[in-house]
Amino acid sequence: MTILQGIHCPVERADFPLLARNPGLIYFDNAATAQKPACVLDAERAYYETANANVHRAAHRLAVAATEAFEGARATVARFLNATNPDEIVFTRGTTEAINLVAQSWGRAQLRAGDEILLTELDHHANIVPWQLLAQQTGAVIRAVRVLADGTLDLAHFHELLSPRTRLVGCTLASNAIGTMPPVAQIIAAAHAQGAKVLLDAAQAVAHQVVDVQKLGADFCVFSGHKVYGPTGIGALWCRCEILEAMPPWQGGGEMIDQVSFAGSTFAPAPTRFEAGTPPIAQAVGLAAALDWLMAQDRNAIALHENGLRDRLEAGLGAIPGVQVFGTAPDKVPLTAMTFTQAHPYDVAQFLDARDIAVRVGSHCAQPLLAALGVPALLRVSFAAYNTPEEVDRFLAALPEILELLA
Amino acid sequence: MTALNRETVANRLNAVVGWEGKSRLLVQLAQDLPAFPDAQRIDANRVAGCESRVWLLLDWQDGKLQMAATSDSRVVQGLLALVFACYHGQTAVDVLALDFEGWLTELGLSRFLSASRGSGLRAIVARIRNAALAVSIRPLT
Repeated sequence: MTILQGIHCPVERADFPLLARNPGLIYFDNAATAQKPACVLDAERAYYETANANVHRAAHRLAVAATEAFEGARATVARFLNATNPDEIVFTRGTTEAINLVAQSWGRAQLRAGDEILLTELDHHANIVPWQLLAQQTGAVIRAVRVLADGTLDLAHFHELLSPRTRLVGCTLASNAIGTMPPVAQIIAAAHAQGAKVLLDAAQAVAHQVVDVQKLGADFCVFSGHKVYGPTGIGALWCRCEILEAMPPWQGGGEMIDQVSFAGSTFAPAPTRFEAGTPPIAQAVGLAAALDWLMAQDRNAIALHENGLRDRLEAGLGAIPGVQVFGTAPDKVPLTAMTFTQAHPYDVAQFLDARDIAVRVGSHCAQPLLAALGVPALLRVSFAAYNTPEEVDRFLAALPEILELLA
Repeated sequence: MTALNRETVANRLNAVVGWEGKSRLLVQLAQDLPAFPDAQRIDANRVAGCESRVWLLLDWQDGKLQMAATSDSRVVQGLLALVFACYHGQTAVDVLALDFEGWLTELGLSRFLSASRGSGLRAIVARIRNAALAVSIRPLT
């Protein structure tokens, strides 16, 4: 443990090669993607150096090692989400592909004209657009739960929109733009009472809190590896076994079949049925290394540390004139979104970048949310376990100077 | 207010070092861009693909490009001043001959051209070149 100003930093910055190479860098864009610990990079390299082969076929020792590594990674993802069985885990390219898979496989098989898909204004475009495509294909109708001015979900509106016509509720565990964590337990219970299935977008939650799919009790849960200290190009869908078993394939190719003839083909059981072609094997191994690394950390200490950084930042911002924080829900992941009365967020980000402080600015792939909040762009500071109170203080010292420059 | 032409703008940018200095100068250059008519701040004149909002008007008078542009970002407004310095008052042939990206690279500002589209500069320059191509193909009467 590193001790900084008497506050424990739960992980070592030196364990992250990119951060070690850039000692002056303040990386506050973790909700976009997190930096990777060395063990993740080492695991991918070790896989290529010791076990590289294609999975699920060929009778040689490397193929066996590769298959064991890949299926071992699936078991690690299952353990990370507390799934009952690794066969409930489908590897995907990430959250976006996982949601498209559910929409195109489960959705196309199940939804009919007039059925309703209930989403929220908190959702990322990745949990909106796949359902719009499905709605166009099936005649299903999309409804959206409003957010209130403080960035919390309008639960009265949710209960108003939820009906026996609702077949699916898609909801994020945490807003990527403003951090709000909606009350998913209540949402899942109400949705199930109407016979609807629930998909949870856990992309922004997995790095910051334990996501336990059995405890949550939803039907689908998706996340991306790169936001949880793992590689890009890999993510996962968790789906309740009985639902997954009944879902038709959505992409065809090798690996996902049982028997192929030109008269027709039969398909492999789940989850292989949904993994056409050679999968991202090294990335799955890297993801497993990231999840093992995270599970070995004190998750409570990380959450306390990250939320403490957010609270320190928001307390400091309160003392700077002309700063407005968006999203003041009591339950938030460790990120803060803001605008400025005298300056465009893009300009502030440019001057922060000149001081090697990396933030995200824009609509954050959440245009319906920004429209609802009545703001064209937000500047977002998002934390990870390796950020420190000193970095927050440097940001708080730089911001008033930059705002004065732009006034 | 300083005249916006390539030479004066280049001299001023070359006189400052460091990213923060150049960004400060862009904010100053933003003030030199001629005022944009409020009535033209409409969606039809928006350039898509920018993190900030950009409005652009292009017209040809006596065969020369008349450009008006504005942004709600001061840095982007400063970049628009660079675009203005290059293209305003030029003929279509000159517009097409101009290597804006090369010039920006010489000024040490090439990162604004990145494919991340943060500034939207590529989309703005592409729109100007397309306008020049259109009048080149269909000669002015």
